[in-house]
Amino acid sequence: MNKHIGRRDLLRAGGWGLAAATAGSLFGACGAGGRPGGSSEVGITGNTVKIGAHFPLTGVAAPGYSDIPTGTKAYFDYVNAHGGVNGRKIEYIFRDDAYNPSNTSQVVNELVLQDQVFAIVGGLGTAPHSAVLDFLNSEGVPDLFVSSGSLLWDQPKKNPYTFGWQPDYEVEGKIIGRYVHRNMPNARVGLFLQDDDFGDDGEKGARAYLGDQVVAAQRYVSGNTDVAPQIAALQAAGADLVLGFNVPSYTALSQLASLKLNYRPQWFYSNVGSDPALVGSLLSRFSKGEVSGASMLDGVITTEYLAGVEEADDPWVELWQQVWDAHGGEGELTNFRLYGMAEAYTFVQTLQAAGPDPTRDGLVAALEKVGAELQGPGLAPFRYSGDSHAGMAGVKVSRLAGNSTEKLSPVFVTDNGKAEITEYTGRNPGPPPNGIPSVEPVG
Amino acid sequence: MVAPTAVPRGAATTMSEPLIEGIAGRNRRTMQQFLNVALNGLSQGAIYAAFALALVLIWRSTRIINFAQGSMGMFTTYIALALIESGRSYWVGFAVALLAGLLLGALVERLVIRRVEGGPELNAVIVTLGLFVALQALAAILFGATYRSFPAPFGLHGFDVGGVNIALTPFNLFAIGAVVVVMLALVALFRFTDVGLRMRASAFNQEVSRLLGVPVGRMLTLGWALAAMVGSLSGLLIAGGSLVFPAYMDAVIVYGFVAAVLGGLDSPVGAVVGGLVMGMTLSVVSGYLGSELVALAALAILVTVLLVRPRGLFSRTAVRQV
Repeated sequence: MNKHIGRRDLLRAGGWGLAAATAGSLFGACGAGGRPGGSSEVGITGNTVKIGAHFPLTGVAAPGYSDIPTGTKAYFDYVNAHGGVNGRKIEYIFRDDAYNPSNTSQVVNELVLQDQVFAIVGGLGTAPHSAVLDFLNSEGVPDLFVSSGSLLWDQPKKNPYTFGWQPDYEVEGKIIGRYVHRNMPNARVGLFLQDDDFGDDGEKGARAYLGDQVVAAQRYVSGNTDVAPQIAALQAAGADLVLGFNVPSYTALSQLASLKLNYRPQWFYSNVGSDPALVGSLLSRFSKGEVSGASMLDGVITTEYLAGVEEADDPWVELWQQVWDAHGGEGELTNFRLYGMAEAYTFVQTLQAAGPDPTRDGLVAALEKVGAELQGPGLAPFRYSGDSHAGMAGVKVSRLAGNSTEKLSPVFVTDNGKAEITEYTGRNPGPPPNGIPSVEPVG
Repeated sequence: MVAPTAVPRGAATTMSEPLIEGIAGRNRRTMQQFLNVALNGLSQGAIYAAFALALVLIWRSTRIINFAQGSMGMFTTYIALALIESGRSYWVGFAVALLAGLLLGALVERLVIRRVEGGPELNAVIVTLGLFVALQALAAILFGATYRSFPAPFGLHGFDVGGVNIALTPFNLFAIGAVVVVMLALVALFRFTDVGLRMRASAFNQEVSRLLGVPVGRMLTLGWALAAMVGSLSGLLIAGGSLVFPAYMDAVIVYGFVAAVLGGLDSPVGAVVGGLVMGMTLSVVSGYLGSELVALAALAILVTVLLVRPRGLFSRTAVRQV
């Protein structure tokens, strides 16, 4: 622990040096915060906290993902309308990187050096965010709750300012693998994987439990829309259960390819690829009633770590609906917006934990200290500590039925590597009555 | 009884089936996979062929390569999508997109290419590259940059013939048929009609053609218009029953170009054969070696063809010395 702090301080000192060299105006801005008697941290004034994020608002990754920051913003607006956090309103700036890592570098540079944000919250995508990991950590900017399940965000020694949020793909893969092994021991499993960390981590987790049950693994390259050869190879291997670690558009493409091949395995898509509303809207417009949207996904198995919009009487979903009705922009509440709100909720908790005079290092220290105990919308607890910056510890398995889901398993939790999988017995107490958390400052 | 040592590892996991049946089933599945991959390659190849035909058409009628062909086809496909989404039938969208392609081709030739004609041929090619980027950006602004589904007028299920799956959907058959029709029409145009002869003459030697009374300007415009229409067709064929986004034609541009070079750039039949060869090869590479090798395989084919038969498999004209 001490060692981490030491390293962080060192990095921070280096970061300041760099910041001073590259953006001379930075110190001026700190002083201009004008908060009498308080510390003058970048991005913090007497009545505001400025934070930033990068999302694909245009481009191929935009469908669905571009909804996330609108949810985050709606929740921050809700908190601001109720007085903010310690009297400070949260100013949330999100910029478009089109899921292109070189754009991400540019927009995050702007956010940090020009907008002078206090922290980056919820930046989306493994490849895009990887491009700014070193920059944020050398600048000493808290990099909280990256919207991706990559294992890269959990490297507290190398990247002391970066934290994951959602369950990582390996943990998800492990829980999926054990579920299939226990409940469908005769299934011949085919893996349909995105050819990057996402697919690799998921495969690693799933294979840990499936072993001999895996009869084939096929990878698709993002951008090549012809996946029929991959699906044909899974079919030829005799796979009767296909486990997909793929993005939503490839859920649609794999369904179309299997129509062409008359291939009807049990489909099991990991959380990322299974949003029924998004995949359904992609599939629904094909002709002749042959493909009728979400109904095509009936019976598909997937995992969840947040209650979804279809569970309208879940107390968290009721809160999100109320927030969206009051502060949302155009459109319906979607699972993506709900995800953004849930991340925003965790940030508000963290900011409260950092106390009335938050600093960048204080924020990180607070999250390491109380992160594992935070009660929020997640079905499984976070794994945050001085030694771990990993997000939620687990998922539950469920089945899509029309536009709703039915529960197939309790919430299971585990950790990376050889850690055992156990059933999570903690109860989610639901949101506080006013919908705003009240976390005690870390003393 | 097959000795246990002779059983491949995969078969041992078929616990529910008797051993012999397991092996027979595996052989049947292996054959089925090859058929699937080959037929998938055929339908992909038809699309590359359509695109290659457009490149051949413009090459034969103007002697340049149009790199904006894919973007133009993409753009007109979005016009069709806008019409279909506003409630018109698929065929209205289809017809309007083809006409829009015709018009766009003529406009591009008259307004843009005409200004760089007569200069080095490379200038026109570079201009088409600029158009390629500009049209893609414009489409993203006008139609959005997200994935959208494009309907198909026919079914999307493969056929099942006596337990054997034929991995061709009715829409794939339509695409293959459309490509064959276009190919025959182009052969007929260049071989049997006066217009075709004039177009070839204009492309071959503008000065001489003019002296012989050929309206060279009009022929060039016509060549561009027809080529853009065929390009629009390829855009519609690849979009049908799949997802579109402004860059969805990019892969087709590369593979269609290789197909056209394979066929010798001059021959409609060569373009179609080249397209089918590309489609099949890439599908087999994707299915058996891995989808990450597809682009590399296309490059390898291009390099091999250029090294072994620089004029393509079907080219009959000798290289012209200037």
